[in-house]
Amino acid sequence: MKPSVVCLTLTFIQNHSISPWYTWRDRKGEDRLDHSLSLSRSSQLQGKIKVTKKEVMFSLMQGLWSYMFSKTEFHVLILGIDKAGKTTFLEKLKTIYSISEGLPHDRIVPTVGLNIGRIEVSNAKIVFWDLGGQPGLRSIWEKYYEEAHALIYLIDAACPSRFEDSKSALEKALRHEDLQGAPLLILANKQDLTNAVSAEELDRYLDLKKLDERVYMFEAVSGYDGRGIKESIEWLVGVMERSKRTETLRARAGYNPVPTS
Amino acid sequence: MGILFTRMFSSVFGNKEARILVLGLDNAGKTTILYRLQMGEVVSTIPTIGFNVETVQYNNIKFQVWDLGGQTSIRPYWRCYFPNTQAVIYVVDSSDTDRIGVAKEEFHAILEEEELKGAMVLIFANKQDLPGALDDAAVTEALELHKIKSRQWAIFKTCAVKGEGLFEGLDWLSNTLKSGSG
Repeated sequence: MKPSVVCLTLTFIQNHSISPWYTWRDRKGEDRLDHSLSLSRSSQLQGKIKVTKKEVMFSLMQGLWSYMFSKTEFHVLILGIDKAGKTTFLEKLKTIYSISEGLPHDRIVPTVGLNIGRIEVSNAKIVFWDLGGQPGLRSIWEKYYEEAHALIYLIDAACPSRFEDSKSALEKALRHEDLQGAPLLILANKQDLTNAVSAEELDRYLDLKKLDERVYMFEAVSGYDGRGIKESIEWLVGVMERSKRTETLRARAGYNPVPTS
Repeated sequence: MGILFTRMFSSVFGNKEARILVLGLDNAGKTTILYRLQMGEVVSTIPTIGFNVETVQYNNIKFQVWDLGGQTSIRPYWRCYFPNTQAVIYVVDSSDTDRIGVAKEEFHAILEEEELKGAMVLIFANKQDLPGALDDAAVTEALELHKIKSRQWAIFKTCAVKGEGLFEGLDWLSNTLKSGSG
């Protein structure tokens, strides 16, 4: 054989990572070690694909794997006026549903921007967007409506003097066409306080019109001690999985993916 | 072994280190902010060609703060500093309404960078003491911050010469860094 042919074959072997016979003969032990290494790496890769849908698929097997085990990702907006307890609620969610401990409530400062929480419940991945609720910052809420699968609206149930403000901000959000058909979860928060009103009372007080065609629920929760949160999230996942809006969003994402930075 | 011990020690006592980049157009006030944070006083600055780097200890976190020059010709060199960055502080001159469009372009170009995908973003709407300065809501709008959907961000009104708003921003950074989600 000419040297150039040998050289070519060798590069071919290297490029296609075929285990060459000569290494097998020369350094048997090491080669076998390499094999077990690459095996464990590929199983790690498969595990990764189960988590992030955007992974490039390397083979049919992995494609099938991700097809069978991928989870739907839902985007849920957490809104409400300032001091409603949105961030505390989000941190409690993180503590309940993920391994990482959320921030303790005394370390939470007013949000001026966006907080993000990612959790996994049963077969769904949920990304929560918690936006600041101060009057000047409410103008950016609507920028997030289009991609949201559902809306959680928090109200400080122990502060009746601000119910009116809460109500008008919520009504304004619901009128927006980008939120059409989005399931709504209204939370009477701060149930740990003795003067908090119940979910029914809040429902009566807000007296929201035009909610009939929307899937919605009132629930009493406390972002401080965590009561009511599991029930709320279970309900939310259920309705999101069945909602027409989820289908619409999925179809839209399929045809023209929106780049997010 | 020594490294292991320091790691364990710091994880027990909460001393973390974070690499922070301070970016923004020229004349936004980056260097003034850096030295205000580090020494607590206003220094007279000249336009930065290259970078300044200082360590700021705050809330049990050692911030290694890199202030990179912001002139058009040297902005391409920012990317050399992107790897291993936990957070970006983007400084905007809120009174410079003419160039806020450019500030927006640069900002979104930074966010696109693969090496900064995991970095959290803190925006300083600086020079609030000047007449005609946009407030935080207006700067949010102008920078189109709502396009950020997969990472945490926050905006603070600051005035570097008076020292206002800077440590509120660092509070947010240290809280978010500690909760480990970006």
